[in-house]
Amino acid sequence: MNVPIMAMAAAVGAAYMAWVFRQMQRPFWWGLGLGALTGTLGSLLFMTPLDFCTFEPERKPMDNALGVLLVLAGVAIVSYPTGWLARYFLARGEDRKALRGEQVKGAFNAPFFVPLLLLAPTLVILALFLYYPALDLFRLSTLLARLGTPRTAFRCVDNFSRLLDPNFTIVTLGLLIAALVILAVMWFLRRRGDVFRNDVYRTLSSVLPIVLLFLLLSATLDLFEANYRSVVFSTFYIAGWTVSLGLVIGLAVAYLAFQPVKGASIYRTLLIWPYAVSPAIAGIIFFVMFDPVGGIINHVLGQLGLGQPQWLKDPWLARWTIIIASVWKTLGYNILFYIAGLQNIANDLLEAAAIDGANAWQRFYHVVLPGLSPITFFLVITNITYAFFELFGTVDFLTRGGPAGSTSIMIYEIYTRGIIEFDIGRAAAQSIILFIMVIGVTIFQFRTSGRSVSYGA
Amino acid sequence: MIRKSMLLLLALAFSVIAVAPALAQNPIEVKVWIAFTDGRLDWAREKAAAFNQQFPQYNVIIEGYDNYETLFASTALAFENNTQPSVVQYFEAATQNALDAKTASGEPQFKPIFEALAGREEVNGIRADFDDIVPAVRNYYTIDGQFASMPWNTSSAIMFSNANMLEAAGVESIPDTWAGIEEACAKIMAMENAPAHCITWPNHGWFFEQSVAQQGAELVNNGNGRQARATETFIASDAAIAFVSWWKSMQDKGYYVYTGAQRDWTGTYNAFIAQNVAFLIYSSSDTTLITKDAREAGFEAVASFMPHNGDVEYVGNLIGGATLWLTNGLSKEAEDAALTFLLWFSNTENAAEWHQVTGYIPIRTSAVELLEAQGWYEENPNSRVASAQLAAAKPSSATAGALVGGFPAIRNVVTTAIENILVNNADVVETLKAAQQDANRILEEYNLLNG
Repeated sequence: MNVPIMAMAAAVGAAYMAWVFRQMQRPFWWGLGLGALTGTLGSLLFMTPLDFCTFEPERKPMDNALGVLLVLAGVAIVSYPTGWLARYFLARGEDRKALRGEQVKGAFNAPFFVPLLLLAPTLVILALFLYYPALDLFRLSTLLARLGTPRTAFRCVDNFSRLLDPNFTIVTLGLLIAALVILAVMWFLRRRGDVFRNDVYRTLSSVLPIVLLFLLLSATLDLFEANYRSVVFSTFYIAGWTVSLGLVIGLAVAYLAFQPVKGASIYRTLLIWPYAVSPAIAGIIFFVMFDPVGGIINHVLGQLGLGQPQWLKDPWLARWTIIIASVWKTLGYNILFYIAGLQNIANDLLEAAAIDGANAWQRFYHVVLPGLSPITFFLVITNITYAFFELFGTVDFLTRGGPAGSTSIMIYEIYTRGIIEFDIGRAAAQSIILFIMVIGVTIFQFRTSGRSVSYGA
Repeated sequence: MIRKSMLLLLALAFSVIAVAPALAQNPIEVKVWIAFTDGRLDWAREKAAAFNQQFPQYNVIIEGYDNYETLFASTALAFENNTQPSVVQYFEAATQNALDAKTASGEPQFKPIFEALAGREEVNGIRADFDDIVPAVRNYYTIDGQFASMPWNTSSAIMFSNANMLEAAGVESIPDTWAGIEEACAKIMAMENAPAHCITWPNHGWFFEQSVAQQGAELVNNGNGRQARATETFIASDAAIAFVSWWKSMQDKGYYVYTGAQRDWTGTYNAFIAQNVAFLIYSSSDTTLITKDAREAGFEAVASFMPHNGDVEYVGNLIGGATLWLTNGLSKEAEDAALTFLLWFSNTENAAEWHQVTGYIPIRTSAVELLEAQGWYEENPNSRVASAQLAAAKPSSATAGALVGGFPAIRNVVTTAIENILVNNADVVETLKAAQQDANRILEEYNLLNG
């Protein structure tokens, strides 16, 4: 028990819930009482298993800070759904339905438990094989635990704080200033009046998410200590290029393969082929191709008199070798979905655009691209997941994380800690960090591009 | 009525299924996991088939894994799931881990073979005869004078030279010191048709340990972990700094070529066979293959002792390789089945043949005598080197090799540090000091949980 911390949590919960109640035009002191309760419970969510260890006197400031974050996260996890429920029960009938997202008129009308019953088999499997191990991961991340050793020792949040060393760089500062400037200009333009036709405003509003993304990435990098920072950097770098190049090239190739030419179906089949190859095999193929001594790439480059780059020995070249291998690997998948997406774009829209005098590029940019946005959105998510998790096989066979850790992406680092070094506790902590990041990226995606996705009428 | 008879029939069918295996006297299964997937796995399977024929009451099944590290991890995971085999091949660095390893219920994962033998001199007519095992192997693997595991594949780090290239460069004798290698490399690289580089070896912790031992230095405290549990590592010792500094200087001069990945056995091997380097420091385990591949590539590969630091006294090299461990909790019959196979697998004939097909040293004195009598060494002088190198070592805690917990993880720290030095030009002393701290932390945590 730690009374000051719990009181703080109760205050935060109370403030939030009071705000909810005021919004619903109910007496806010009801909210204060409910919020104090959810806040207190929230502080106990993580702190009961940890036994408030982060606030012990001998702990470092970093541990205290992590403890505060955990308490706040617990408060959010308990209070936010409670707030939603409160809104739901305080609302009137019609508003309730809107909150439930329920369609008033629909083809499917069944008691509320029917969907649950239909979902039950999936939920049971998920709970057993995904949620339970995931929960166990949280337990392991607080332990000093080694494979093959039944004895463990409690380590509080050491496995996490060992990876952290916040140190904000000039890059983050620059991006922060840029984001603030853009926001200020946009605010100013909006105040001046109609911005719908203002080119500057439109450009800024499309640049803003990119600046914010880089700000977020840079700030995330700054959180970690030097060694782990380079791991996170490699992950972002490789994943960023893999996803963006994979999508651009995938779309370009799909657009070409979509043209009605003779034998198009054969081309399409051949183009999708690389997807059937496992990441490990892709790793081996590229290892053979990029071998500086006997590889075909350097043979051809040598014939052309372009020298003999040491692909797997130079940190940057090695990263690019991984990127090339993984882009090649995902290309088939992206092409497959883009061809399917292209088939769904209504021809009359393109015809109408052509009649209006749009040239090929304008038709592509203004009709095809927006029409593909749901597919692109889906592909961005799946490609990011691929780049974060599935690249393991490619890295393992191509570089084993080398040279000097330059291609040791987060998932590979987890493997090194857990399987090579047997340090299950640290591996679990790193898994959780990766987990939080992927969730973060996905939420960011939904918040930014998710909004501009058009699923048609 | 019909229903009742159906039930009866069903019950009968089930009891037949349950009893049938017992009646048929199925052979006792002995699962053996080894860390090979190449010809060595085929050889082991051939031998297992011969064993199964000789002992029809047993059925030995051999499964291969990619490398020691993978097998080590797979076994640890198998114990978590209770799917462990009867026998596992653990590499030398995993010896302390194997001794300490416990199952979830706190039972030891492995049973020392001396305990399983319980004083017996033979099992099923196969003699144990541990006095016949060569001293280098005995020194490494006996703990308090007794074998905890059965020696099988034992190697040492030796050097292979491209004799044709040495001759062309005018290098008269194969160098045996670091300075000698540098001189030879200067000559070789000055040739008109010089190879791309002069020398290579894998960035594997084992070569680092060899070089430290050669200089008479210990890798960990408490007599290299042999008098008492090691509690501190000496990764930044003078001997270690001397070796890594020399390594780095060889790279800076363009003599040593780093293939870009840790534990890269394939890339370094290929560089030598493709004649991109004149020297290869490698495991003796592939002596037979290297000699043959070199001949096919049109040059002669000559084996010699691993070069050492000429500035300090040379005390000898370490062994490498692995031993076979018996898992705990087998029934008496299954345990005897596994023991029979272990003893048979390393008998004189098999030890001699294993040496011939690979290059691992013959682990029995009687096997060496057999090979001498067959004239094997006359025809294959390269095969003599590893045994001779190990026999030449002065027995000491340094040449006995380190016994330390978390050794595979510590090795990983060492190779990562060296890679950082080779690729990013990190400072040798500072990097090794940082690595020593990391290794000490691993050891401290290991001892906390296992001590």
